[in-house]
Amino acid sequence: MTGNSEITLSKVASGRVNGPARLSGPVLRYFRLVDYPLIALSTAIIVVIGLLVLPPIWTLIRTSFANTMPNLSTAGFTLDHYINLVTGRNLAVSAVNSIGFATCATALSLIIGGILAWLIERTDAPLKGLAYVTTIVSLGTPYILYVTAWLYLLGRAGPFNDLYRTWIDPTSTPFNVNSLTGMILIEGFLWSPLVFLLLSSTFRAANADMEEAARMSGASILDTIRLISIKLARPALLALALFVFIRNIEAFEVPALVGMPGRVDVLTTELYKSIKEVPPRIGYASAFSVVMLIIVGALLLLYGRISKQAERYASITGKGFRPRPFALGRGRWIAGFVILVNFAIVLALPISAILWTSLMPFVRPMRWVALGTTTIKHYEAVVSSPYYLGLALNTLVVSAATATVVMLLALVAGWLAARRKPGAAMIDQLITMPLVFPGLVLGIALLEIGLRLPIPIYGTLWLIGLAFVIRYMPYGMRYAYSGVMQIHSELEQAASVSGANIRESLRLIVGPLLIPALTSGWLFIFLIAAKEMSLPLLLAGPSSQTISVAMFDLWANGQGGEVAALGLMWVTFMTIVATIFYRVARRLSLTSFGH
Amino acid sequence: MSAAEADLDVSHLSKTFPNTGEGPAGGVQGASFALASGTFFTLLGPSGCGKTTTLRCIAGLERPDSGIIRLGDRVFFDHASGTNVPLNLRNIGMVFQSYAIWPHMTVFENVAFPLRVAKDRRYGRDEIDRRVDEALDSVELLGLKSRSATRLSGGQQQRVALARAIVRKPRLLLLDEPLSNLDAALREEMRKELKKLQAQIGVTTVYVTHDQAEALEMSDRIAVMQQGRIVQLASPRDIYRNPSNAFVAGFVGSTNWLKGIVRGAGPDAVVKLDNSPSSLRCIQPNAELEGRSVLVSVRPEKITLRDVRSAVPDRTNRLIGRVSFAGFAGGSMRYQVSSNELKFEAYGSSESIWNEGDEVGVDFATDAASIFES
Repeated sequence: MTGNSEITLSKVASGRVNGPARLSGPVLRYFRLVDYPLIALSTAIIVVIGLLVLPPIWTLIRTSFANTMPNLSTAGFTLDHYINLVTGRNLAVSAVNSIGFATCATALSLIIGGILAWLIERTDAPLKGLAYVTTIVSLGTPYILYVTAWLYLLGRAGPFNDLYRTWIDPTSTPFNVNSLTGMILIEGFLWSPLVFLLLSSTFRAANADMEEAARMSGASILDTIRLISIKLARPALLALALFVFIRNIEAFEVPALVGMPGRVDVLTTELYKSIKEVPPRIGYASAFSVVMLIIVGALLLLYGRISKQAERYASITGKGFRPRPFALGRGRWIAGFVILVNFAIVLALPISAILWTSLMPFVRPMRWVALGTTTIKHYEAVVSSPYYLGLALNTLVVSAATATVVMLLALVAGWLAARRKPGAAMIDQLITMPLVFPGLVLGIALLEIGLRLPIPIYGTLWLIGLAFVIRYMPYGMRYAYSGVMQIHSELEQAASVSGANIRESLRLIVGPLLIPALTSGWLFIFLIAAKEMSLPLLLAGPSSQTISVAMFDLWANGQGGEVAALGLMWVTFMTIVATIFYRVARRLSLTSFGH
Repeated sequence: MSAAEADLDVSHLSKTFPNTGEGPAGGVQGASFALASGTFFTLLGPSGCGKTTTLRCIAGLERPDSGIIRLGDRVFFDHASGTNVPLNLRNIGMVFQSYAIWPHMTVFENVAFPLRVAKDRRYGRDEIDRRVDEALDSVELLGLKSRSATRLSGGQQQRVALARAIVRKPRLLLLDEPLSNLDAALREEMRKELKKLQAQIGVTTVYVTHDQAEALEMSDRIAVMQQGRIVQLASPRDIYRNPSNAFVAGFVGSTNWLKGIVRGAGPDAVVKLDNSPSSLRCIQPNAELEGRSVLVSVRPEKITLRDVRSAVPDRTNRLIGRVSFAGFAGGSMRYQVSSNELKFEAYGSSESIWNEGDEVGVDFATDAASIFES
């Protein structure tokens, strides 16, 4: 503020205090006392995030009620799309399938991940290191690669059906992978590592005193688990179950790759088919998307409530707390066996399946005789084609750009929210809003926006990047928010007292101190963006394909060997990129933090 | 001193926080004080009394609800005219309780920061070098200039924080419990150094602490705060000798509390003690107190233990008691004496000869017993 306006304003204000029109005094005073740069920053961030988050929702709602012409102009409003949705059979069937699929897959991953987490965290089971390695590696593998591996393993030519034919009945194929059961198995395996990770932190935080008190009161191990351990962990288990359920309702990869070929449709694939029809049924798809948004929104609200309850139950004690594991006695070898089986299911089998298919000229059973036909032609095909190099570049560029934009936004938004600056609550709500979007629904919304926007971003990497930014903002926010919470607020106050303005505080103090949190957030978003499939599948044009879209297309064309070769090379490459990035970032923060 | 010639002038400062239901809200109500240039001023009080809020209002870290804050001829905050100078333009030096040393910078960069972001003028490279050296020299850390801030001990961090606070030669220095994170020996040493440094650069200083020993030793003036209000503002000696109420007497220094009722008025007035047959003569109670129940404060160091058969000196109260505890504290003896239902803390030289169970006279001068309404 310049001195001139200051004088006038304060004159007016102080003049009014004694005058009759006293009421306007406090109002003016209020405006004089606000912190303008901060308000400006908050407003700017709210506008930016609002512009990212709200148009997709608005577009979907509008199109769902609009009579859209083939040239995308609107000819009046209608309820037809919703009527079609309700009267058509597809919604009911796919909803029932979705619920069954999500429920069973959630149960399966909870059982696998839960047992494993309890064994690792609360008992003296052997091979604990193996369980962690299994989890970490499998979390880094793109879904599509995983899914194709399991499609092979459980499919016609896979070892299970093959063994059955060899030993029992040579004419039959007992297991059809392209079924609801197949989908449930694969989705359950897919989620069990994450369930394991999340549950192990719950079990680790559980206070061993509670269990020991039960034992001292005379309860057996089983009674203790039944009456104490599980009861204590129940709110957390419930919250986690709901979380996984939501993600399974939103899941697209498994339904698309496993279910669609077998004509088993769930909500997401039904939605995908309606938009991929020619001409796309854009109104119907939008109405469908709005219904999905409402379902997921309601589930997320429920999740918020349950997880708040779970926090009250958390029995973490102060420092020096170390949980004492149960001694399993002779049960130890059973526990070790369980961990080995998990390693086989989650890591060893899929990886060897991928390796096998990538080395075979065509899809064939795992047998010794087949070893003679080993070939590296798929690898050659991938390496020699400039097409794949372009895809890799596209993927890297769009993922890196997304991660950078998201983390910059999150730095400012996270700081404003964590420090309870003006507008904090609104920023927090806006930026977490994209969580209600299943990937496919967001894809449809951006498809419409891309088509309607006067700027030609449809079919370019820009549109994919925009979709990624919206989708991953909430994740970036969590990293930045908790990062800011770990910075003592006096470090910032010291900068302000020293004379720094907001921009200087953020650039010179908060930013550098947040580097570790921003780096891990960046890496996380970079990695998940690089393996994201549903968004680019809808939004990519001919020149903006990404690796996962290419793998999807290859698979749809029956080129399983090339998918495997490309996938393996891509996983290896991404692991190297991530490791180098992590090392460099660590060294940078080491030199700046000096220890 | 009139407010016009004061350096720092705070008047009718109020700031309340919406009560979150977790303990005292810790606001300030109507705090006023004016300090001459160069004063070492301490805000003293228990946690939640509003001392830190007052300091943060002066710094600009909190916005007061009402009042005026002025430094020299510059108004920082005036609710009536709507003036509120942003904190980064106030040019104040501040040392935080956690020191707030930025871990991603060297010692030099930490200290140079206020010069680099200064808004009122630009500092050239040479001047920054010179000023930082000067500041580091005054806290005796010149040798650690290029060390990373994470490789400093607590005491060194504190000195860096101090250097950073004074590098811009501010007109006002704010210290928020700067010694509370140091161990006892270092704290004693830093008290002396801090006071010396403050006197040397002559900057007006506001110091916040809950440690009465620190406050008494370092300050020119002390404001004792209780529940958001300044209950006494005086020199350390006055605060200690003539506490304005029972709270101040109890908070600053240790004391023996005796309950009683005032009988009579004028020079003949006495306090009839509740749990004892005895009566005390005190510093003359005012006439209104007659018949009221009061608290009498007697500082332990004002008590002399004497042989019961010795003569009672002039203007002295004597209660007869028995030594119930005698502790050797190196340089002195610490006694506890029970007299009927009353218990007295008293000190003696390390050569004093009383043992547990001895009958003694608890003697203290009439002007060592201060009366407070209870």
